[in-house]
Amino acid sequence: MNDESSLKILAVGYHEEIMKVLKRLINSHSGWTGTIALSILDAQQLLKNEPFDAILLCAGVSQAEEQTLVSTVNQLNAQIKIIRHYGGGSGLLENEIRAAFS
Amino acid sequence: MAQYIFHKSDSRHHEYNDWLDSKKTFSFADYYNPKRMNFGALRVFNDDILVAGKGFGNHPHDNMEIISIPLTGSLKHKDNLGNEKIISAGQSQIMSTGSGVFHSEYNNEPDGETRFLQIWIYPNELNTSPRYQEVALPTEKGRSHFEAFIAPQASETISAIQQNAWMSIGNFEKHQTFNYPVHLKGNGIYLYVITGAIEVDGHQLIEVDGHQLSDGDGLGITEIDHFSGKVNSENAQLLVIEVPMQF
Repeated sequence: MNDESSLKILAVGYHEEIMKVLKRLINSHSGWTGTIALSILDAQQLLKNEPFDAILLCAGVSQAEEQTLVSTVNQLNAQIKIIRHYGGGSGLLENEIRAAFS
Repeated sequence: MAQYIFHKSDSRHHEYNDWLDSKKTFSFADYYNPKRMNFGALRVFNDDILVAGKGFGNHPHDNMEIISIPLTGSLKHKDNLGNEKIISAGQSQIMSTGSGVFHSEYNNEPDGETRFLQIWIYPNELNTSPRYQEVALPTEKGRSHFEAFIAPQASETISAIQQNAWMSIGNFEKHQTFNYPVHLKGNGIYLYVITGAIEVDGHQLIEVDGHQLSDGDGLGITEIDHFSGKVNSENAQLLVIEVPMQF
């Protein structure tokens, strides 16, 4: 399992402009690399093709879709942390990721 | 039995730069303290001071109820919902950010500081349509109870929030007693002393600082159906945030 100093994070959400900001915020953190998916299907495809340490569930992702992603992750790599992101910006982002890996 | 958590004013995380002086009760941005993450659905409580003309540039939010309460000065708000507003001390701004909103928030004062409380509460439903509201803070003095200005259901003097949460103000004189009945069983109370000195009695007088709370102190109380107290100073102003502890 990875620690929080070096992470590949897949952020999934439907609000494209917010997702661009989140990607920039993730990448601005030393050691963290962000990839965005604008749909659950895109996220599932990325999960099959690339290793990730965490999935960040962002605006627009329903609780039913969250369960779909949980199932996908359990099949591929149950070590991937699934984190519900609240607030949409920098306020809670780092806290949520650090809490998930602490 | 009532449970208490006391956040003394000077225990808050304090950071400042050339435009913002911020005291954070809970972990926020690059301040991370696992022991200070939230009080139930109350996630953020920042006591911020913006220097003249400065502020937070355009940035996004989603799935959070964000309440701003200027204590001095005024804020200039602009968002992508088409709102361009100025809110001053005595008013409160409520952003239910839901599926996503971009906004900026600047000190509207050309020469003076603006101090405001920035409060975030987790919503009880995700991805709702974003909305912006303003409401006047209760100002009446001399009553022994608190006046709500935010609640789950709106009314003439109350703005609605996407959570089973209430926010209330009490303006009290010296020697006055006050009482707050909890609206919803299981909710916790976060009491913040904007100004003044008070004693608080849930089921028993709590023992903090010689029984007294003063400016900037916060007190979380759970497992109660009401709390009461007494004012020990002139012109006390208290903020009560009632939130679900399980959400």
